[in-house]
Amino acid sequence: MGEIENNMETKHNMDAIAENNENTIDSMDTIIKIEDLTYTYPGAAQPTLNHVHLEIEKGDFLAIVGNNGCGKSTLCKVLNGLIPHFISGTFSGNVWVEGENTKNADVGTLARKVGYVYQDFENQIVRPTVLDDASYACLNYGMKDYEQRGREALHQCGLEGREDEYIWQLSGGQTHLLALAGAVALGPEVLILDEPIAQLDPGHADRIYEVLRELNETYGKTIIVIEHHTEYIADYCKHVLLLRNGQAAWMLPAREALARVEELQESNIFPPQVTIAGFRLQKNGRLTQTQMLPTTVEEGREAMAALSYAGGKSPKGENVPQTAAPEPSEKTVAQFKDVTVSYRSVKGEPHTVFDRLNLSIHKGEKIALIGSNGAGKSTLMKMMVGLLKPSQGIVELNGTSVKNVKPEQLSRQISLVYQNPEEMFIKDSIYSDIAYAMQVRNVENWQEKTEELLKRFRLSELSERDGRLLSGGQMRRASLAIGVALNPGILLLDEPTANLDIATRKEIMRTLSDMKEVTDTVMIATHDMQLVCEWAERIIVLCQGQVAADGTRDEIFGNAALISRVGIRPPEIFTMGQALDRRALCYTVDEFLDAFSCEGRQEE
Amino acid sequence: MMQKLSENVLDKFSMDFLRNQVLKNAYGNDDTVIAVRDPRILLVWYLFFGLVPWFVNDLPFLLGCFLLVMVTTILAKVAGLVLLLFAVGVFSQTGYLLIATWIFGGDASAIAPLLVLTLKVATISLASVTVFSGLDPDRLSNGLMWFGCPERLSFSISYAYRMLPMLMEEFQNVLLSYRLRGNPPAHETVPGKIKYLIYQIKIIIHAFYPLMLNTAKRSRTTVEALEIKGYRYAAVNKEVRKMKLSSLKVTYDDLIFLAISFLWVAVTVLVSTLV
Repeated sequence: MGEIENNMETKHNMDAIAENNENTIDSMDTIIKIEDLTYTYPGAAQPTLNHVHLEIEKGDFLAIVGNNGCGKSTLCKVLNGLIPHFISGTFSGNVWVEGENTKNADVGTLARKVGYVYQDFENQIVRPTVLDDASYACLNYGMKDYEQRGREALHQCGLEGREDEYIWQLSGGQTHLLALAGAVALGPEVLILDEPIAQLDPGHADRIYEVLRELNETYGKTIIVIEHHTEYIADYCKHVLLLRNGQAAWMLPAREALARVEELQESNIFPPQVTIAGFRLQKNGRLTQTQMLPTTVEEGREAMAALSYAGGKSPKGENVPQTAAPEPSEKTVAQFKDVTVSYRSVKGEPHTVFDRLNLSIHKGEKIALIGSNGAGKSTLMKMMVGLLKPSQGIVELNGTSVKNVKPEQLSRQISLVYQNPEEMFIKDSIYSDIAYAMQVRNVENWQEKTEELLKRFRLSELSERDGRLLSGGQMRRASLAIGVALNPGILLLDEPTANLDIATRKEIMRTLSDMKEVTDTVMIATHDMQLVCEWAERIIVLCQGQVAADGTRDEIFGNAALISRVGIRPPEIFTMGQALDRRALCYTVDEFLDAFSCEGRQEE
Repeated sequence: MMQKLSENVLDKFSMDFLRNQVLKNAYGNDDTVIAVRDPRILLVWYLFFGLVPWFVNDLPFLLGCFLLVMVTTILAKVAGLVLLLFAVGVFSQTGYLLIATWIFGGDASAIAPLLVLTLKVATISLASVTVFSGLDPDRLSNGLMWFGCPERLSFSISYAYRMLPMLMEEFQNVLLSYRLRGNPPAHETVPGKIKYLIYQIKIIIHAFYPLMLNTAKRSRTTVEALEIKGYRYAAVNKEVRKMKLSSLKVTYDDLIFLAISFLWVAVTVLVSTLV
């Protein structure tokens, strides 16, 4: 705060500069200008933003990338004036939005210039109905035509026809669009979205980005997204800004930026798989150095057209007999028999999630459960641990019906790690959280076992911290440790990689691979197809209350008709391989390079 | 059989069920005759049926009022849980006395005053149920605001309703964590059952700590969002208040509703003077 007061003295000076800049800004079509911005959170030792200089052009579609904790969200909060007006701290430097210095404008004025959608957007919605929430801000600022503005914003965000619905009737993607509409309604020129697609399936994610593109191209809004999904950056964004250690390292056109593979990887950002493949091809001389690296499948098709399929696998892609297909001799550990389940709804008929579902899970399987949002993945897992009872049919665990076993007795057989790790933390330190289940059961040597788990999941140093205050990846690891504490035979994980940046995601994936030896049977519900392809041995696809498909990755992803029907998307590198040669079934960059490796075999 | 029944009852009272009932009660019946009434008319109506019965001891009049509010409660399609709470409430207040008196051979002179008291309590409760549960929270808070209640109160009402389902879901999940990982005492014997009950209560109390912390974490975003959305700005602005209230409109149907209520009360007064 002291810094701000100091600056107040020189306020007149500043105003003069602002005035000057206003003129230049208009001529240059710059909408946001940041000069020597340094900001430190109250109580923090290090500044989060350190001498940032930045200019953003009007009409840009900018992606901000960077390490966890490099100040991306902080930078965005600076732009909409929450910093320094609502969140105090030490602030120096200047920020102009549409020529207005944020130091002199209040949050209300800035809200009409810069719209902000949070990462936890559901907490941003404060009214019960859709139209009401979209027009709420306009009403508060006393705009006479608030309802019209709300309707217009809903139209722009593709929520037309849902004006009178209640917010809990909306799906995750629609809720996000509503949060966006609430920001759009005020008519800001700049829209900022913090990780807009972190929790969404590809269908919903595309929809969000289509809406953003429409806002950008048709309505001329400047869009700024914080994004880890580089494939989306390649498809939609115009520029990329890399933040490193609280500083703006560079801002480049998207394709050029994504081609800086090594630099991005240093900051824990993973360029699209196509780009990485191109980069590695370039390194071993298969692509020319001068060639611009491809960032999308479309560009990849052009750049790698010369490559030919050498058959990393035998022609039908069955060289390794995958053991995934359940053999009848295997022991069944869980079984669904004609299971029907439905949720009560606020109005009208209950909503049926599963209708006569049949499914068997065998000992030792590594299963990925996939399907679009709302296909029933979480419901299926909750039924297995007895938290949800089917209205018809039986769920069996090791031969006995789950109904007859109390959940607390189940916990040695099966364990569920929630999608939201916060809900796993019931104690005030992760040590006691991990120890809890063993402690109350008087498991022998529970202290030692807890220490062991802490070490295994690399949490030893954090053992006294409250789980809620850890970073995303640490929180995930802690919740996994809690999940395996009782050494259950079956482990269920609900979206273990959601909301994580790629580096943390890789780390969790490594942890999951490590755990393969520890736990027998593991089932993961996820949208993360890279995880599915690299980890799973059996894939179950849920769609409209039924098992739409069940098999190995080749059986699932090789079936184009199925893929388009159930709304899942294979990893980009798989699509790339397919685009080059229909016979190619490659799931990782390594497999891709293998499959298209020997030029000698070009003429087969 | 008994086990099945108890399982059934427990099933019914899961968190999920409670959450559903709260939502149903607040927003599930927005198209009933009562819900579309102007909130101000209903509040005036409530002022009468919520106060007058206290001061009148005339049986036909009370009976008449009771019948009327019963009809409005049916029209409002109030959620089952609320009605159950109402029944339990009335019974525990005076109903049990009435039944006890009747069973143990109390004569008319003993029963009549109790009947009057029970009717009073029932009428007032049902009138409240009609207004506060038949109207959706937003219309109710707008009505209250018109009568001069501070904006903060009315916002709190609708915001509480918006948050409540989320809180209950979160609470449910935390409780489930305890259930899955905890190790409750065996509860086959009677002392075991008591221990189990104490354990359950302890768990519920323990579960509040993570619930509060998680809620605090969530509300950080909400507070910032409210600031951006100009909530503080609106709270002090008269113009905005006027705009918020301009959506309230008294229609002919509202007047008919009042007229019917008035006529019915007049009839009961007439009957009571004739008797």
